[in-house]
Amino acid sequence: MKITKLNALQIATLLSLTGITTAFADEPPNDVRIGLYSVFYHTSADDITGPYVPAGVNLTAENLETLYVGIVRHFPDNFALELALGYPPLSKVKGSGPATVGSVPYDGQVISSARWISPTLLFEYNFLPDTAKLRPYIGVGVNYTTFYDRTSTVAGNEASGGPTRISLTAAVGPAVTAGLTYRINDRWHLHASYGWSQVRTHFTGDTDGFERSTHISFNPSALIVSGGYSF
Amino acid sequence: MIKFVKASLTALGMATLCACGGSSSQTGSPSTSTAHGTLALDPPFRIASVNAATLAAQLGSTSAGAQLLELAGTPTCGVDFYYIKFWTIGGAGETTESSGALMVPTGAAPACSGPRPIVEYAHGTNANKALNIADITNTSNTEGALIAAMFAAQGYIVVAPNYAGYDISTLGYHPFLNAVQQSGEMMDILSAARTALPGTMTSATSDNGELFLTGYSEGGHVAMATLRAMQAAGEKVTAAAPMSGPYALEALGGVIFFGGVNLGSTEFSPLLANSYQHAYGNVNSSTLPLFSSTYPNAETLLPSDTPIDTIFEEGLLPETALFSSTTPVVAGSAELTALLGVPPTPALPASPQTPIFDLGFGNPYLINNDVRVAYAEDALTDPDGAVPTPTLGVPRAKVEPTFGLRQDFWVNDMRTDWAPESPTLLCGGDEDPTVYFSIDTETMVAYWGALPAGLVTMLDVGQSPPSGPFAEVQTAFQASQAALLAYLQTPAGGGLTPQEAEEAVIENYHTNVAPFCTAAARAFFSQF
Repeated sequence: MKITKLNALQIATLLSLTGITTAFADEPPNDVRIGLYSVFYHTSADDITGPYVPAGVNLTAENLETLYVGIVRHFPDNFALELALGYPPLSKVKGSGPATVGSVPYDGQVISSARWISPTLLFEYNFLPDTAKLRPYIGVGVNYTTFYDRTSTVAGNEASGGPTRISLTAAVGPAVTAGLTYRINDRWHLHASYGWSQVRTHFTGDTDGFERSTHISFNPSALIVSGGYSF
Repeated sequence: MIKFVKASLTALGMATLCACGGSSSQTGSPSTSTAHGTLALDPPFRIASVNAATLAAQLGSTSAGAQLLELAGTPTCGVDFYYIKFWTIGGAGETTESSGALMVPTGAAPACSGPRPIVEYAHGTNANKALNIADITNTSNTEGALIAAMFAAQGYIVVAPNYAGYDISTLGYHPFLNAVQQSGEMMDILSAARTALPGTMTSATSDNGELFLTGYSEGGHVAMATLRAMQAAGEKVTAAAPMSGPYALEALGGVIFFGGVNLGSTEFSPLLANSYQHAYGNVNSSTLPLFSSTYPNAETLLPSDTPIDTIFEEGLLPETALFSSTTPVVAGSAELTALLGVPPTPALPASPQTPIFDLGFGNPYLINNDVRVAYAEDALTDPDGAVPTPTLGVPRAKVEPTFGLRQDFWVNDMRTDWAPESPTLLCGGDEDPTVYFSIDTETMVAYWGALPAGLVTMLDVGQSPPSGPFAEVQTAFQASQAALLAYLQTPAGGGLTPQEAEEAVIENYHTNVAPFCTAAARAFFSQF
């Protein structure tokens, strides 16, 4: 089976075919991985614009950690497809810019929070035979991020001028990863990877009909340390 | 494998579901009622929150702000600036939404929280439709800064409408000098502000029930009309201080139509025409058009998003020429012809503004001669008690005038059968070329001459030598005028000749009086 010559779309199509599992009868084709997801934001945003917003008011995001769950499907000749998920973490957005807006503290204040679901689908290539103790791998894929439980904090409401409704648009962007698998035995293994994805969203705060907005690129990188089981 | 695919779809499905159903904090709730005085959005939006030190620093960063601080004193309190929207009445009785400011003192000082008095302020004429007196972040909002520094930063809760026709208003015109509408709007915003106050982020400050009314220029008229309306409604007013307002509107109209044209008249006339045409429908007609054909759109021009200077530059309004320099010759009436001539004969009441009157005549001009003649004929038939010839008690015309515009002035003149029941200060400056002190303030004081002593106090900040309880304010105003006169003759001030400098000072006199009268008003209110 010359699967290496197939494109990603064809592979994805193959994933929906139950018969494919028969091709990997000699090796467990699936992994489930659980571990720690350390997210490091590399936020860049335009200054917030809108009514009554002084110059230089900006945003940044707080780094966070959450539970990582990965589901991996292996294919012959070292290819794999990973769906990386995280327990929806509470992501905190901080004010950045002037120390105060008027006399209301701003810089460094947590002004809003949101939980996000951010599944990443990665097409990966593993180096070395699957019997190797240490196997590096690289991957490329796509990330989808959507936000919920969007909340303006008390500090955010103070800075905004009243109770504020937050919206953050969903984002789709590329993702890349590089990692290392340590094979304990045929079933159990450890993993460490470092990845990056592009997450661009449009932030809008609506306070009594006054909308202030900006484009934010969170562009998170993530260090994942996990343990896996093959079946 | 089936399980794998299902799991991923479930994850994505969950994400979608969460995005749709996820909660988000709420913003203010719009009112479902449009009853007059209803707060349209609760809680109101806070434009800015500034503590006392920041307010002092920000005001102190400009020379004008520093002068204001010198007069108002160092802020004791911080100020939260709320932008309130409320339902009110239009000039023709229509229901409409309007907006304004609620400024709430903040801070640890005893005067800055807990039960505090309310000052309700009515602003002066403004050609800028976008005016929002609550927007303290706008450096052109000098009147907002004035009342914030003078009142809110000293512990008064301040309520001030933008007026229907401005800011968010969709009314399409401003009910300028419409006493019923403007007093109604003042009462409506007060009601809305009292509703809003407990729900603000400054709820530690509350209304102690004391109410002070004040306002400048147009707002002086509004403040007086509001005092009258609140008294009639049985609502408590602790004290009032209308400032430099055109209270005796019929008398002022007479002076102007007889040739004593005030500075700013070409700005006021379109506002008046639009206001009264909507309210009474008797100002403009095809048979007797108010405005000259040179300015066909004058009636609906103001307030505008176009700066007034641009409107003048583009020739949409004349800058000063209210009347034609070719004065009317009235067939069969030498008296009327003389009265409408330049200078008028007999002369108008002695006024230091007389040289300015000449600026009111030119070509092109704004108001047609036929209207001048009709107004003057009506004024001679049914004369005002103060202009051109003062009579005992200086009342308005005994019977309602028949000429439309004059009838409207009569209706909105403050010389109706009422008198203040609360202590009232009438402040102004005797050389005011825009709202004549002698015609408006002195006329009202004379009209109320029989009231018990102390109920109505008149203050002329230009009085020389200064004397009485407000001597300090008078001294400060006169020193300020002298300093301005000297400055304008320096290279930094433009190097004007002494005469040019004097003209520039008098041109700005009406505006320059405002902070000093406001300081006097605060001193007056502090007694109660």
